[in-house]
Amino acid sequence: MYRVAVDVGGTFTDIVLQNEKTGEIYGTKTPSTTNDQSIGLMSGIKKVCEERNVSLEEIRSIIHGTTVATNAVLEEKGAKVGLITTEGFEQILHVARSWTPAPISAWMGFHKPEPLADLIFTRGAKERITAQGDVHAELDESDVREKITELYETGVESLTISLLNSYANPSHERKIQDIALSINPAIPVTISYDILPEFREYERTLTTVMNSYVRPPMQRYLTNIESKLKNEKVKSRVSIVRSDGGLMSIAAASSRPVHTMLSGPSGGVTASAMIGVQAGYQNVISFDMGGTSTDVSLTHAGNPKVSRETKIGVFPVKAPSLEVESIGAGGGSIAHVPLTGALRVGPQSAGSTPGPACYGRGGTEPTVTDANVVLGYLPPSLVGGEMRLDVEASIAAVNTIAEKLGVDVYTAAKGIYEIVNENMYGAIRVVSVEKGYDPREFSLLALGGAGPLHANALGKLSSSFPVIIPPMPGVLSALGFLQSVIRNEFSKTFINLLSALDEKTVIDELKELGDNCKEWLTEEGVPEQQRTIKHEVDVRYYRQGHEIPIEVWLEEIQEKGLVSIKERFDSIHEKTYGFKMDSEVEIVNIRAVALGEVKALKLPTNEVGSEDASDAIVDINHKAYFEKEFLNTPIYARELLKPNNKIYGPAIIIQKDSTTLVMPGNVGVVDQYMNLLIKEGE
Amino acid sequence: MARIDSITVDIIENALKNIKEEMDVTLFRSAMSPVIREQHDCFPMITDAEGKMVVGNFGSHIPEVIKQFPEGMHDGDVIFVSDPYSCGGSVSHVNDWMIILPIFHKEKLVGYSSMFGHVIDVGGPVPSSMPVTATSIFGEGIRFPPVKLYDKGVLNEAIIKIIKANTRTPLENYSDLMALVASCRTAEKRVKELCERFGTDFYFEALDALLNRTEKMMRHLITNFLPTEPVSFEDYIDDDGLGNGPFKMKLTMWREGEHAYFDWTGTDKQSPGPINYYLSEPMFKMFIGSFLISVFDPAINFNDGFYDLLHIETPEGTLMRPKSPAALGCRTHALSRLFDVLSGVLAINSPESSPAAGYGTSPYFIFSGQDEEGRSFNLMEVMYGGLPGRPIGDGLDGHSWWPAFVNIPTEYLETYYPLMVNYYKTGTDSGGAGKHRGGNCNEKLYTILASGQVSIHDDREKIQPWGINGGEAGSSSSKLLIKKDGTQIRLSSKVDNVDVEKGDQILFITGGSGGWGNPIERNPNLVKLDVARGLVSKEKALNSYGVLLGEDLEVEIEETESIRAKMREKVGELQSFNFGDRDQTLVKL
Repeated sequence: MYRVAVDVGGTFTDIVLQNEKTGEIYGTKTPSTTNDQSIGLMSGIKKVCEERNVSLEEIRSIIHGTTVATNAVLEEKGAKVGLITTEGFEQILHVARSWTPAPISAWMGFHKPEPLADLIFTRGAKERITAQGDVHAELDESDVREKITELYETGVESLTISLLNSYANPSHERKIQDIALSINPAIPVTISYDILPEFREYERTLTTVMNSYVRPPMQRYLTNIESKLKNEKVKSRVSIVRSDGGLMSIAAASSRPVHTMLSGPSGGVTASAMIGVQAGYQNVISFDMGGTSTDVSLTHAGNPKVSRETKIGVFPVKAPSLEVESIGAGGGSIAHVPLTGALRVGPQSAGSTPGPACYGRGGTEPTVTDANVVLGYLPPSLVGGEMRLDVEASIAAVNTIAEKLGVDVYTAAKGIYEIVNENMYGAIRVVSVEKGYDPREFSLLALGGAGPLHANALGKLSSSFPVIIPPMPGVLSALGFLQSVIRNEFSKTFINLLSALDEKTVIDELKELGDNCKEWLTEEGVPEQQRTIKHEVDVRYYRQGHEIPIEVWLEEIQEKGLVSIKERFDSIHEKTYGFKMDSEVEIVNIRAVALGEVKALKLPTNEVGSEDASDAIVDINHKAYFEKEFLNTPIYARELLKPNNKIYGPAIIIQKDSTTLVMPGNVGVVDQYMNLLIKEGE
Repeated sequence: MARIDSITVDIIENALKNIKEEMDVTLFRSAMSPVIREQHDCFPMITDAEGKMVVGNFGSHIPEVIKQFPEGMHDGDVIFVSDPYSCGGSVSHVNDWMIILPIFHKEKLVGYSSMFGHVIDVGGPVPSSMPVTATSIFGEGIRFPPVKLYDKGVLNEAIIKIIKANTRTPLENYSDLMALVASCRTAEKRVKELCERFGTDFYFEALDALLNRTEKMMRHLITNFLPTEPVSFEDYIDDDGLGNGPFKMKLTMWREGEHAYFDWTGTDKQSPGPINYYLSEPMFKMFIGSFLISVFDPAINFNDGFYDLLHIETPEGTLMRPKSPAALGCRTHALSRLFDVLSGVLAINSPESSPAAGYGTSPYFIFSGQDEEGRSFNLMEVMYGGLPGRPIGDGLDGHSWWPAFVNIPTEYLETYYPLMVNYYKTGTDSGGAGKHRGGNCNEKLYTILASGQVSIHDDREKIQPWGINGGEAGSSSSKLLIKKDGTQIRLSSKVDNVDVEKGDQILFITGGSGGWGNPIERNPNLVKLDVARGLVSKEKALNSYGVLLGEDLEVEIEETESIRAKMREKVGELQSFNFGDRDQTLVKL
């Protein structure tokens, strides 16, 4: 039997097929179908089956990362959302957190996007729950019925119910949900308690509204997939990849699509963790450099970090996601020189049209890609010969910058290259140093088409070695999906001082959430022996603003008492911020995480060759610009490399989906999984 | 000496910018006062070895502080200061606690890192330590002249003991202080890494180059955009809470060659009360710079480089340069109004490219007492209001003019403090009408759930935020105490320790903001949308915008056109500035 992973990207849909018995994998691509991604998905699955001579019946499961939800938000193509809040708080999304950007006076140029639920479609329910979860004012049911009816008459397609303090008592939200469904069962209703039963009303409401916003397009899409599979008589189980790298069923994804906002990028992170672990490196910082942006993430001890909040466009969404720091620096970022005479790179990007000057599609502005071409890092003829780069156009573009700076074109190009590296290094610091991790204890893994060109230089900046270039850096996400586990979380806000609690209460509360996990795993059809349930508490010093999630074990609490929680929190706080306090500790949220293991992916190993890589050289006379001069920089073909081969920098390794630069003085070694491990010196 | 290339300078600039961000992150995550961590009232800075700011938000004061230590600076020293009078006003009231940390690399001083934040309480007669009735700085809580909190790495425990004995919130203050130190240490570590990576000579040269860059930029801006003829602008603080006022703030500006002059002569004498603002000259220069520069290179790091081009005159004994020991606790009104005045003076020759006036202060709601379990609580909440109509579009409703501040979630307030919020919204019609509408004020109604005291700090109660370029003035602020028996008592904008009982309510309404441009030029469909969203009333749509809306809120196009034609005739030529009822108000006062 086989498993198939499908990653739908902007241009191509990547498909990876895995033989469950041998672990062998095979990848292919098909053009994405932007209007209905399910067409590309289906033709991709058929294509991979044909190419490997596998019948559709042999596919046991399909694992799918989708950008439908994210695109709906970024392209403003979601549903018309109605919002029911507590009366008096109708402007919750309008006022938001009152935030304007720094520095002083920057509000003058601040463009604030419209909320995803317009004030016109927002109504206040007459009701009130207190912070303690008591009913302060009963719900006026006939009033809210009237208001919802009115909203539905204006054409609202999806409804959010988010009441004040509902995290402490969802009864009114549930009642209103029943009322709404009785008025029109066809309109999907999302209540905030089901999406994010945690305190802070703006973030909870926004996240729930976003769920409502993307729900109809997601439901349409998932229905399309199901009907296409049915037509082809495919009986495979379909799983959708969540933002935190876990998997969920189609039913779960249709009711909680907000959990798929970072479905695509999570695959790259999961894959990086897996490749790192297999290559023998448990700590990996991965960076995915694309055309307009770079995503950086961190894996510690083999586990990618899960964060509780992420940003979609400008909206802070509170849904568990693999922690990704995204910055506006990519191959298409444009270099410019403002009045101050500084060299700036980005955030403006040439995108894919017109694209960098070297693409010959009418772009004239100097981009990072052009700088790479000028420096000789990106050879003019890419392998596969799909596109020839216009070196003259790059030189002309970069020259505009060089003139303004009063330097030669190579110095300017090197400047662009180094500044974009410095920007990405900033993002590496955010995920590492700012979170208490030393990047020197991590290796750096490059993905995306442009990543391997900058990886070695970036590794030098952060002293993260070896720098790992996986065999297929361009199609890593789909590979990561195969490694995903079935995952969900059940949490609640539980604000209590540790000193006011006893072990039994905490254990009982955690157990209850754990029971929810069990139920869910059963629904998802995960056999007993493949289940794991983890417990977490978000803790902070009393009234501190920021809580830190820490994992706890029920047995440990039973044995050592609640003090074990404080001890662990103190030590994490000290590690992260340099001090701990002699203060009371309080729990803010508690959570149980359900994990269902799927069969682990084993990458095939390859036959070991010699250290001599000269057979893989395709151009021995190529030259590239480094410190103030051109150096002989041979070009190698990735497909000709064998395990154990050593490549001494400076060198360039080309392959279909990417180009790798090995810096002078560094050396790349091919491992048995065909990763290229770049190390310092020799 | 090494010769540095301009690209290395850019790299070092990026690195410094990242360091500044890391300082903020460290502080937000580990500080305890809500004003720092939920509302981000804090300011990072990194300087060169002479104390010139190379990256930061507020302008350097280091030289003035350092010279107070004749024994010099050593590795491991950490300076703590909270007295505005002994640091040239770098911190402008005693609630702002500042840490300065000399950075040594290979035994050589390479710069300073500094951070200050607003701590919740520093003692004195009222909780949160900004008594409205203070008549000297001695009535505003404990004050620290520059002292070494750490001397060569050794913590001075005495200072901690003194702090803890002099505040209502010892734990919070201790945590905030250590968080400020942690934040400066973050910068120290990173700057040392930079010196290691580039060498100190290169690093110093890069800092000089960065300072030169902003100077070059500012030279250009001054000669191209500032007038040689002096222009003046005035605005007012309502009162000082003790019955004095209004207080005029007047700024005159002109250019001579490449140098710009800003003169506060004509500003009223210092107040007997605590609304005085000891204006730090470097900070004012930074404000001017950020106002001018951010338009041209938003990515730039602000630094001291251009400071020699700006000349500030602030007469002693005035509201903006009070003599010690004048009280300073409530300086937030003058600090904020300064931006309206600065914006006004720069707008005189080109009102179309400047915004109107906003809610013009940082309103505070302070509530303290003991809850029903006998635990004391002390809430200080920064409020927001209308951001003015601007050249690029409408002002934002109920937002913060001060960067990166955020509001406190109602669910947080209700969890930790004995109160309930009945509503939190923006005030219909409070933004001045304009082609680009002024932002609406905030309206928040609290129900008190445990007896205690309420203090209020606000302004723009009497004198409205002005409109510009034909836009109307915005609404004033107001406060109401609604006793549980229904009696309504109007509270002035600056009051201390008003006793409240369980069941009483406080209605807190901040100022709106002025509109930009002639309201009758506003697209009628946008007016309709505002009405449908409840931000503007149907009446105001008709009276100020000349837009007639039907029953179903559809624009009555023909009537609207004829109404607007009549309004156009009647009004005649529009004034650049619309001060609302200011002149009548000033006569009455």
